[in-house]
Amino acid sequence: MKKTGFLYDDRYLLHDTGPYHPERPERLKMIRKGLEEAGLLPMLTPIKASRAQQKWIEAVHNIKYILRFEESCLYGLTEMDYPDNQMCGASYEIALLAAGGILDTIKLMMEGKIDNAFCAVRPPGHHAEIDKSMGFCYFNNAAVAAKYLQSEWNIRKVAIIDFDVHHGNGTQHIFERDPSVFYYSIHEHPSFAFPGTGREFEKGTDAGLGYTLNTPVLPGQGDAEYKKLMERDLFPAIDGFSPEVILLSTGFDAHVDDDMSGINLSTEGYSWIIGRMVELADKYSDGRLISILEGGYCLPRLPELGKNHVEMLMGKK
Amino acid sequence: MFVEQSMSKNVIAIGPEAGILEAKDVMAEHNIRHLPVVDKDDKLLGVITDRDVRSAMPSIFVDSCNIEEEKERLSKLKVKDVMTKDVVTISPLYTLQDALLLMQKTRFGAFPVVDEDRKLKGIISIRDLMRAFINVLGLGEPGILVGILVENRLGQMKRIVDTITEEHVSFGSILVARYWDEGKRAVFPYLLTNNVSKVKKKLESSGFELLNPMEWYLDQLPRHKTD
Repeated sequence: MKKTGFLYDDRYLLHDTGPYHPERPERLKMIRKGLEEAGLLPMLTPIKASRAQQKWIEAVHNIKYILRFEESCLYGLTEMDYPDNQMCGASYEIALLAAGGILDTIKLMMEGKIDNAFCAVRPPGHHAEIDKSMGFCYFNNAAVAAKYLQSEWNIRKVAIIDFDVHHGNGTQHIFERDPSVFYYSIHEHPSFAFPGTGREFEKGTDAGLGYTLNTPVLPGQGDAEYKKLMERDLFPAIDGFSPEVILLSTGFDAHVDDDMSGINLSTEGYSWIIGRMVELADKYSDGRLISILEGGYCLPRLPELGKNHVEMLMGKK
Repeated sequence: MFVEQSMSKNVIAIGPEAGILEAKDVMAEHNIRHLPVVDKDDKLLGVITDRDVRSAMPSIFVDSCNIEEEKERLSKLKVKDVMTKDVVTISPLYTLQDALLLMQKTRFGAFPVVDEDRKLKGIISIRDLMRAFINVLGLGEPGILVGILVENRLGQMKRIVDTITEEHVSFGSILVARYWDEGKRAVFPYLLTNNVSKVKKKLESSGFELLNPMEWYLDQLPRHKTD
């Protein structure tokens, strides 16, 4: 079995998005509950968050944006850029803890203390652009992680595989000119889903051409289509790229019971995906795999999805 | 929404005495398909297109002719010999809608924009119009399209807007289109949110019928009157 880390911090619950918002603290509680009830917690390496140094956030985001976010929170504003992005006075600090916790997790993995990890963080990150918050996201956690791996750990090639049901516009835009970070996303077709990007013909630009790959999936599709399309698109591409570390933008919102999308993945479909990701990591990146939570809003399903996810990472199944 | 604001103002143009091979090179270099032909005072004389140039070239299927002779003939052909003289032009004060409808009617891909003295002011092509309408549809902004079917009577739009606004969601654009059934309209708000499920539920509980965008196509009107 692999040594799997689990990043979770009660402070992640303090990012208050108000009543009725789908991106709510209960999401993490449910995931943690799933792990606890399955008796997995004692088998995992627990990781608590520390605050990310500003230099790592600045490696991705514009300083004016970082300050704007901080000041908005200090000023008591409850939203930023779009009404979707509800927040509270603590949100800036919690977003730093989300990114910082992931960097701590990466450090443990690079020091060989864990093999892989699941980072149950809030707020999510993959919609966050260099200078704009979007789709419940403020700091692009996966992008900060990739920059940190490259600067601090001399990793040259990072793959970010994003299977949240929405396209990770922020992550794509941050790396679309960068051939050292391969970004793959499979998501509900942008003509039917937020945020309206991630079309098949978006493949990166300039030196980054060919290092961005998108697989849009039509509403109503499920496990069979995902398997077919990932085998067609992702696996050959990752073979050509040979990443040294794989980061996952993990979203559980493609589940059939999640009403944020029209995609119908089953619980087993999710296990298949993460199982294949572990295989990819074993094959290309010496097992190094960091799964970062993005979306997933169906509270009754999150315990089992979280539990299966972690079990697959551990190699328990 | 005047053509003046959306047209290309730095127009690549050519003189009537230039060779057609030069015209071909200019179009290839700038990746364009229409070259306005102007005199020394910038007055429009005609337009030469990539198709005009290609038609003047020997067919690739005819290789029996004397190549040198053919080269000689082509090198003597001038822009004024092959250009279209009877050009449809528009004024800078045409609206984008005018240009779009005229394009559909004439099937031309671009119009030179000229002033009262027929001086060339710009050119507007199908690409400029596409850009403008991509903006109008809000395609550049993050959001999601929702389809709603409503009775074609006064006050429906207000109800839709009120319902969505109550959910604290803002609009990128709203498109209203005809529907199969007489007396019904399809309304497509493009909503700037990731949180569409609660809006959909609210609309349904307010009595609206939602359209599945998967089963909808924009072009529901007959393509030709004879259809």
